[in-house]
Amino acid sequence: MGFHDFLQWLEGSPLGHAMRSSGVWTYAIVNLFHIVGIALLFGAIILLDLRLLGAWRGVPLASLSRPAVTVAGTGVTLAVLTGIPMFATKATDYADNYFLFAKFALVALALLNVLALHRSSAWRAQAAGQALTIAQARRLALAAGCSLVLWFCAITCGRLAGYW
Amino acid sequence: MTVRTLLLAALLTAVAMPAVAHHGWGGNEEKITELTGTVVKPVSLAGPHATMQVKVGNVVWDITLAPLPRTSAAGLRENSIPVGATVTVRGNRSLEADHHEMKVVLVVHNGKRYAVYPDRL
Repeated sequence: MGFHDFLQWLEGSPLGHAMRSSGVWTYAIVNLFHIVGIALLFGAIILLDLRLLGAWRGVPLASLSRPAVTVAGTGVTLAVLTGIPMFATKATDYADNYFLFAKFALVALALLNVLALHRSSAWRAQAAGQALTIAQARRLALAAGCSLVLWFCAITCGRLAGYW
Repeated sequence: MTVRTLLLAALLTAVAMPAVAHHGWGGNEEKITELTGTVVKPVSLAGPHATMQVKVGNVVWDITLAPLPRTSAAGLRENSIPVGATVTVRGNRSLEADHHEMKVVLVVHNGKRYAVYPDRL
């Protein structure tokens, strides 16, 4: 199945049909929850990432990371679950929308960054409330920097996709 | 702390300003032009904006209408105008000469006026 076949399949799927035939407010409401998801995600990661980069050192890291990860995870799940039906609505229209596919790549990279971080010994150490070595603190700061840049660029591309 | 918060707010406002100023119509002409042609793709109430296609001479124009609730509220529905019908549209065409796209504010069919953006007429 080629790329255009995939777009046609997605647009012609029951999900695409449902999005196009379920009333004039459906897209707007799905879009609303997409934005709420992004707000939850970015609002949570900016707190955690800035803490990992050295802000608010008085706040115990484990106390911040647990709720931040829960809220960010909820946000990204909501954004993906609402993003798929919005894409399916007119999938073939996005065939030459480079911003949208750049966004997908950036989201994939950002999620890989999360995966790698969560498998690191530095992350396990902070989750357990242990004191971090300098190397561990640097590992967390590096992931935080990547997270901020990748998610910000993903949001930028997502917004610009609407203006393409 | 207060000063830092204010500076941050000022920075965010400065970043957000161009986005507000350019909303939606940035890539289109300021002036309103008119096209008359035949409908090749009827009104579609799907996606962020309603759309249709109109053929003028040998050129097929992509017509972008208002968002769905607004287009629908103007009386323009998917079955309002059949394929092959003659319509006149008024709107702001793309700034790029070879890009046949128009953000339409008014559609006229059979003497009936659908003003999807009455405030932009």
